Amino acid sequence: MDAAVTPLRMALVGVPNCGKTALFNRLTGSRQKVANYPGVTVERREGERATADGRGQRILDLPGTYSLNPTTLDEAITRDVLLGRLADTPAPELVICVVDAVHLPIGLRLALEVKRLGLPMVLALNRMDVARRRGVQIDAARLSAELGVPVVPTVAVKRGGADALIEIMESDRWLVPRSVTAPAGNGVSAQDAEQLQRDLQGLLGAAGYSPPRDNPWFARIDALLLHPFAGLVILLAVLFVMFQAVFSWAEAPMDWIEGAMNSLGEFTAAHMPAGPLASLLVNGVIGGAGSVLVFLPQIIILFFFILALEDSGYLPRAAYLLDRLMGSVGLSGRAFIPLLSSHACAIPGIMATRTIPNWRDRLTTIMIAPLMTCSARLPVYGLLIAALIPARAIGPFNLQGLVLFALYSAGIVSGLLVAFVMKHFSKSRQYSPLMLELPDFQWPNAANLVLGLWERVKIFLSRVGGIILALMIVLWFLSSYPAPPPDATGPAIQYSLAGKLGALLQHVFAPIGFNWQISIALVPGLAAREVAVGALGTVYALSAAGDDVSGQLQPLIASSWSLATGCSLLVWYIFAPQCLSTLAVVKRETNSWRYPLIMAGYLFALAYIAAFVTYRVMR
Amino acid sequence: MSDRSGQPLALSQLRAGQVATVLGLLESTGLDAGRDASQSLLARLRDLGFVPGARCEVMARMWLGGDPMAVRIGGSTFALRRAEAAAVRVELAVEAGVARESLARAGASAVAA
Repeated sequence: MDAAVTPLRMALVGVPNCGKTALFNRLTGSRQKVANYPGVTVERREGERATADGRGQRILDLPGTYSLNPTTLDEAITRDVLLGRLADTPAPELVICVVDAVHLPIGLRLALEVKRLGLPMVLALNRMDVARRRGVQIDAARLSAELGVPVVPTVAVKRGGADALIEIMESDRWLVPRSVTAPAGNGVSAQDAEQLQRDLQGLLGAAGYSPPRDNPWFARIDALLLHPFAGLVILLAVLFVMFQAVFSWAEAPMDWIEGAMNSLGEFTAAHMPAGPLASLLVNGVIGGAGSVLVFLPQIIILFFFILALEDSGYLPRAAYLLDRLMGSVGLSGRAFIPLLSSHACAIPGIMATRTIPNWRDRLTTIMIAPLMTCSARLPVYGLLIAALIPARAIGPFNLQGLVLFALYSAGIVSGLLVAFVMKHFSKSRQYSPLMLELPDFQWPNAANLVLGLWERVKIFLSRVGGIILALMIVLWFLSSYPAPPPDATGPAIQYSLAGKLGALLQHVFAPIGFNWQISIALVPGLAAREVAVGALGTVYALSAAGDDVSGQLQPLIASSWSLATGCSLLVWYIFAPQCLSTLAVVKRETNSWRYPLIMAGYLFALAYIAAFVTYRVMR
Repeated sequence: MSDRSGQPLALSQLRAGQVATVLGLLESTGLDAGRDASQSLLARLRDLGFVPGARCEVMARMWLGGDPMAVRIGGSTFALRRAEAAAVRVELAVEAGVARESLARAGASAVAA
């Protein structure tokens, strides 16, 4: 191997919540999510940084683990990388062990375990600013002498907070060739573990360590948030406020975007010669993709809440409160965080299930993740609720917000029921542990929050400008050609390919109350849920027979759909697995076609049955 | 579960607000989970800091049997299920209930095991 050209391989190791991911960002400048719950780092994350000598350094951010004796897939990956057991990832040439100085013992224990592997190592004492404020005493020089590796204080969340570490990384002070002495076998015996604890106590004593003062506020807040009754009431209130806010705060900005889209449509129609191109722009692009864009404010508000709750350390506490409920349907309390992430998007949610130790539990969590209401459903729910449900006030609440809350609840309740059924089908009764850390509270970091929101906005906009726009253009062609015969009486779209397809599909969907416009919209909507809204926009714009082409979708739906049809479609959307990316991720995570197929099958069946019942009851 | 004479206790027997010193872990968890799972659970408890001499405090317990419970040890707080806490042998510390009155009061409504 040519050492002069290959970048130096480094790896970050540490317990969950030690600030490892923040340090990774600081070192590589890479933009990624930093969160405050255990198990956020489920993906392999690598970044490069340039060095003065031109060789460069490649830094791998390993999943957080409490020990090299793994209980989850994530932790096993960390151990295997360090031991050089992964085929595609050679063992790092330098290990940067990140230890939260506020919680020194637990992190230093892992550092001792890593040091035993004999890899060159640097210890980063992270969050030193907070530790000092809370009265922690550590003699870094003594610690370094005792441990035999360089020890540097860092503050990963501050600019320049990793300069001392970078200096060491670029020096050759750690480049002591050592022989790697991997432990035999997988586990550590109880004797080994006790020896490690004795070593740890000796090390802490030698470094003159004194623990942090407990922040009395943390205990007070926890007494309230973890209270069996008050805690649950607060959790419900938090979720409730979140869903109300998605509706009420987003109202004004959504009106602006909608107004802008309408003016843009009118302007385009007025300044272009009428013809296929004008129709494509006005009906396909502005009417189709534009109607999805309107929902950007709601998505920003939803993610604002999710990111802030993540960052503050509240989520694991919610998992604690709900553990009993989850346990009664056969889920682990650890399933809470993947399931909550699924409310943003099922894909990161399904990937986060890697932190669940037990395979059956993990599979159950994966199977119900798509039932959690992801943000792609928001445009559909938002459109239908605004069109069909009056914005009446019921006490302090808005009826529209209540309906949205009910839809989210329906997703959660049906997920729990499915988990319950799966529990009864499964023969294995293996116990799955909780053992979840409840991290210290912290104020959500504003920069972190803005960065996280910006990433979501980028993802949403690139979907609107990418797949959604492309599907809308295809749909416009299918809905416009072949052109109607000269003696046509109905709207032109009925004679087009899409119109014929819609008429055909209506045989399937008529029993659940869907008209031919919905039937057409569901076809591109199979790829991604929110596409259906754009598709309805295009289909209705084209069936409006020319006079009111840029007319708004919402009043059109309000006047032409029955309440039963609208509710049936809402219920359909609670269940229908209309997201190819989710099914692809399930295939990847379970490594078989079996589970995505079962998932698609059972969800479509539930969607059809539930929509059928809703339509029949309400008609 | 190892409690016959009243002392030592299992961590799962403590009320919210009580402070205790860890004596050690049981040999096996008595859980209906294979031997390997049981051993890895014990190893993890040890890794989290449940080692002889460590001081721990029950911060909160849920109702109906107090499952799960929040336990503070080594400056960190962990949520444990009752079955997990049952594997930790402890002895009540004298300072119990004095250190954090407000917390003990808040936890008084939690049902003791």
